[in-house]
Amino acid sequence: MKPYRLRPGRLIAKALLALAGFLAVFPLVWTTLNALKNNVDIITRVPKVVFTPTLANISYILGRDSVLTGLYNSVVACGSAVLIGIVLGLPAAYAVARYPNRFAGDIQFFVLSLRFLPPVAVAIPLMVIWLQVGLYDTLPALIVTYSLLTNSVIMWLAIPAFQGVPKEIEEAAFVDGYGAYSVFWRIALPVAARSLIGAIAFSFVLVWNEFLIALMLSSSNAKTLPIVASELSQQGMNVPWGILNASVVLLSLPPLLFLGVLSSFLNSVFRQKKS
Amino acid sequence: MRRRSSLPVTFLVPTLAILLVLSMVPTLYAIVIALQNRELSAPGYSWVWLSNFADLFADRRFLNAVWVSVKWEIVTVVATMAVAIGLGVLMFEVSGSRLRNFYCLLFIIPVLLPRVSAAFVWKFAYHPLYGIATYPYRLVTGGLIFDPLSKAGTALFAVASVDVWQWGLFFAVIVLKLLETLPPQPIEAARLDHAKRWQIHAYVTLPMLKAPLISLMFVKMIESLRSFDLIYVMTRGGPGVATETLDMYAFSQGFIESGKVSYASAMAVLMMIATVITFTMLWKRVQA
Repeated sequence: MKPYRLRPGRLIAKALLALAGFLAVFPLVWTTLNALKNNVDIITRVPKVVFTPTLANISYILGRDSVLTGLYNSVVACGSAVLIGIVLGLPAAYAVARYPNRFAGDIQFFVLSLRFLPPVAVAIPLMVIWLQVGLYDTLPALIVTYSLLTNSVIMWLAIPAFQGVPKEIEEAAFVDGYGAYSVFWRIALPVAARSLIGAIAFSFVLVWNEFLIALMLSSSNAKTLPIVASELSQQGMNVPWGILNASVVLLSLPPLLFLGVLSSFLNSVFRQKKS
Repeated sequence: MRRRSSLPVTFLVPTLAILLVLSMVPTLYAIVIALQNRELSAPGYSWVWLSNFADLFADRRFLNAVWVSVKWEIVTVVATMAVAIGLGVLMFEVSGSRLRNFYCLLFIIPVLLPRVSAAFVWKFAYHPLYGIATYPYRLVTGGLIFDPLSKAGTALFAVASVDVWQWGLFFAVIVLKLLETLPPQPIEAARLDHAKRWQIHAYVTLPMLKAPLISLMFVKMIESLRSFDLIYVMTRGGPGVATETLDMYAFSQGFIESGKVSYASAMAVLMMIATVITFTMLWKRVQA
């Protein structure tokens, strides 16, 4: 061990890591700073670090109807899709994990293969279908489409989570006279809860960040927040940079709230592998 | 006693039925639309069978989009894996457990951002006059202008850098976790044989992780297909058609320029066939 400690290579490695860490967060910090600047402080050839902060951009964003509608649509569409994904995905994942049958491998592959479908290939026909049914540009159409995403992702991630529940606990419950369903409700769900929450959070982030399908399935009423934000950025040359930065910050906050949950989910996945 | 329960049927059948309907209806309908000549502006349509596909292969912009997509796929996958393995090994080598946790937290942040946010953050950072990422260049050259997003030669790489920023850093965390799961004995043995640090990783640890690393690459290949948001916000396929990937071209044919839904759908069907075949083959190979 010891001879390595003094090497310059180690110093360079540490510097590289520090640089990567800096690059990971600095662009976001800078965007947040820009959200607090007046336009004159943003449009400078030399980036300004010292400035008089203003809340004008943020209050402008929060006062715009389009942004509030987008926020509402995003929350309702993603929330409902995640709920549907939970209700349909968790039981199915449990069945695959605990009642192995000869189709288990095929089912897992089918669920994963839903992720191979190019989003355009799903969005174009769905747009035509929803137009014909008269549900184009409505939240129900978006919710149904998103529930395909959440359902498959939750199921995919919940299968290993349920497999990680020690079999002995479930067997003991059976011996105590629990039925198959109450073992699922009272034993498997609570024991696997931590990993399941990670899977659910992941599916939420995935649909919250979704862009292409929302863009194709909405024209005015059902626009989600990413669409509204991207429209702000397409306003020609006189871009209100501060407002734009503020909208990016607003859009990015919800997924970042799950940072803690998701990183501990990641840890638990690998701890399982190790043991 | 659990074998005789009705649970697997009641839990699996409804979910799988819904998933099948939700995925097969659009997939089959995409093929149907591709065989017609629907347009957004006109209500009527007729069957044209394969002529959309014939038109595609004569369309130079389509062939360009195929080439751009292939380039995008290669650049982002290779760069992501390189960054991930590089940073993962570095963290494993020089950081204590506290610092590791700290870096892991930092490196997960970019991938959580909506692609639209990430695209916008970097679009502004790459702004030739006011961007923070182009500032060092302006500083060094005394105010010369460098506009990576509007040059045909650099635009693809500038957009790809955002993708690598999101996925490469995230995968570095996973590579570190994978390295941590390895048993310490082979590493100790190599050390006793006076192997250098980089040799230990090149010949011992990374080959031991071959299977999970290939799965990781597989995941990245799938995610790289979803380039649309980044390109839409940052370049809209420009300059010219330099960053016009297949999904971008399908979108602009179907929606922005002409509303040729059937033509766009034919493109989507080709993408679907190509990806399903490629990934099914790769997946079977990874599993085997």
